[in-house]
Amino acid sequence: MEVDPRLKVTLPGLTMKNPIMPASGCFAFGREYAELFDLSELGAVGIKGTTGDARFGNPTPRVAETPSGMLNAIGLQNPGAQAVRDEELPFLEGYDVPVLANVSGSTPEEYVHVVETLTDAPNVGAFELNISCPNVKEGGIHFGTAPGEAASLTEAVKAVSTKPVYVKLSPNVTDVTAIALAVEAAGADGLSLINTLVGMRIDAKTGKPVLANEKGGLSGPAVKPVALRMIHDIRQVTGLPIIGMGGIQSAEDVVEFLFAGADAVAVGTANFSNPFVCPTIIRELPAWLDQLGMESIGAFREQGVNI
Amino acid sequence: MKNERMIVEQNKSIAAKTHEMTLSGPLVAHLAQPGTFLHVAVPGDDLVLRRPISIAAVDRDAGTCTIVYKEEGEGTKRLSRCRAGDGVDVFGPLGKQGFPAEQPSPGDDVLIIGGGVGVPPLYFAARELAKRGVSVSVILGFQTAAAIFYERAFRELSGCEVRVMTNDGSNGHAGTVIDALNERPSPPDWLFACGPRGMLRAVETHGAHSKTNGYVSLEERMGCGIGVCFACVCETGDRASYRKICRDGPVFRFKEVVI
Ligand SMILES: Cc1cc2nc3c(=O)[nH]c(=O)nc-3n(C[C@H](O)[C@H](O)[C@H](O)COP(=O)(O)OP(=O)(O)OC[C@H]3O[C@@H](n4cnc5c(N)ncnc54)[C@H](O)[C@@H]3O)c2cc1C
Ligand SMILES: Cc1cc2nc3c(=O)[nH]c(=O)nc-3n(C[C@H](O)[C@H](O)[C@H](O)COP(=O)(O)O)c2cc1C
Ligand code: FES
Repeated sequence: MEVDPRLKVTLPGLTMKNPIMPASGCFAFGREYAELFDLSELGAVGIKGTTGDARFGNPTPRVAETPSGMLNAIGLQNPGAQAVRDEELPFLEGYDVPVLANVSGSTPEEYVHVVETLTDAPNVGAFELNISCPNVKEGGIHFGTAPGEAASLTEAVKAVSTKPVYVKLSPNVTDVTAIALAVEAAGADGLSLINTLVGMRIDAKTGKPVLANEKGGLSGPAVKPVALRMIHDIRQVTGLPIIGMGGIQSAEDVVEFLFAGADAVAVGTANFSNPFVCPTIIRELPAWLDQLGMESIGAFREQGVNI
Repeated sequence: MKNERMIVEQNKSIAAKTHEMTLSGPLVAHLAQPGTFLHVAVPGDDLVLRRPISIAAVDRDAGTCTIVYKEEGEGTKRLSRCRAGDGVDVFGPLGKQGFPAEQPSPGDDVLIIGGGVGVPPLYFAARELAKRGVSVSVILGFQTAAAIFYERAFRELSGCEVRVMTNDGSNGHAGTVIDALNERPSPPDWLFACGPRGMLRAVETHGAHSKTNGYVSLEERMGCGIGVCFACVCETGDRASYRKICRDGPVFRFKEVVI
């Protein structure tokens, strides 16, 4: 595929051919999608949330459908930081694409350990701290809802990371800007949002929750308005780079996120309905720039179109 | 794996709440292994997850494949409303492990056990076996007479002997597929099964024998269908690791995973 130079986006740690990356947890470590298209076409790759040790995750059923969305309660299943370093990241080195390494944990020490293990991997461009996973009991959500804890976690990770650090914010809070400002003050290089919204489904025939974990994280088109609102709100209070996500399915959705104040975007659930959604959006973006009279993706920021 | 808009050639009711859909398109050329499945997008933008449906038959000369699905909820209800000429967005074939229909030799004792909408992938397997001159015994289990489908289709395959069980005895023999399994004089060389979990668990318990090569096809709620989301995992038999049903299966050897 020809690279349109107008799509290029440069963010801390991530030199991207275009503003599109798959969202963490919806692309594993790339091997499966590599059978479908050339991963080098992507702007970056967001890998599955990685913890200190291997995790098996929650009991099944782990997903349930909802109107224009889905709930998931995977429970951060992953092979652990060392296996990701030794077995998964080298595979992605075969492609010309930077990795946004998603880091999860139960304690600040665990986050620090994961970052220490992955920070010298040549293709890890930046870290994304998942302080907002709703699916693990002792999990990161705790860090994502209290500004002080989010800030001290960010500081601890920054102290050991040789790569820029993005903090992935939780939408499950009353004032998302407070958390954003707290992690900015603690040294975050960027923000990414939104993670999933805590939700639930109940089987009307049995009265029981559909998910084995009872509750799960809502994603997909249903959450897009929430994501846009939060990105817009945060853009009013900070100039930090923002990777936006939540319900993106098309190039038109991407343009909405750029207008709201995102610098790049991640596509999650839409990969499940359309496995070729990322390359398709990348192909369609230039026509949007033409139509809007934008010189480049960066122009959304430079021209100050943010509302 | 291909993603393509296939054309509905035919979509008809074949039993209570059960429909058979024939699809055409270049994707058919890629369908080879019984047990593998298609990930079907349901018409309407509000349903974001695809539906996993097994391949029931492939006709390469005609360039068509057939799926059989039961109306369970909104997705399969919408599929049942598709008409000839409509397009359906299909991704597949998915699954790396199907039923090894290429392995049994003519003369081997091959047993197939299917329950309800678990029957379709086994019909594909039986056709492949029949093509290779392998005769098969088939036990089909349904809740009630109205739910029975494909009994005749199996009978029409050469060397295929069919026994139908209904839970309520309204057709064929009263009882479960396990009753029929237990009446057999000797364990089979090959056993392929698909159906509800409880049935598969019982098939493994009653059908496991040192001379039997047993295989079961599993179902789980799926997100991606290709192995990236970890929605459809199950534990390995030794409980030390896991498999993804969508990618590593959906067919597993007896004891390979915990059913
Ligand atoms: C590998 C595999 C092969 C299958 N082959 C067939 C087949 O040949 N014929 C057939 O009738 N059925 C088959 N099924 C089951 C079929 O996928 C479900 O019945 C169907 O998805 C229900 O969709 P719905 O929208 O009607 O139901 P709803 O309950 O409204 O669906 C809601 C969500 O739950 C999921 N879901 C519901 N039931 C199941 C289930 N049993 N397994 C997996 N996901 C489920 C749906 O895909 C959807 O995402 C298969 C399942 C798997 C995993
Ligand atoms: C199945 C699944 C698994 C996910 N796993 C993770 C994860 O490991 N780490 C993380 O930070 N976010 C995870 N997410 C959240 C997504 O990265 C994304 O923030 C969210 O789904 C919203 O985007 P979407 O609507 O495009 O899916 C997961 C989402 C889904 C659907
Ligand atoms: S459905 Fe996503 S891993 Fe199997």
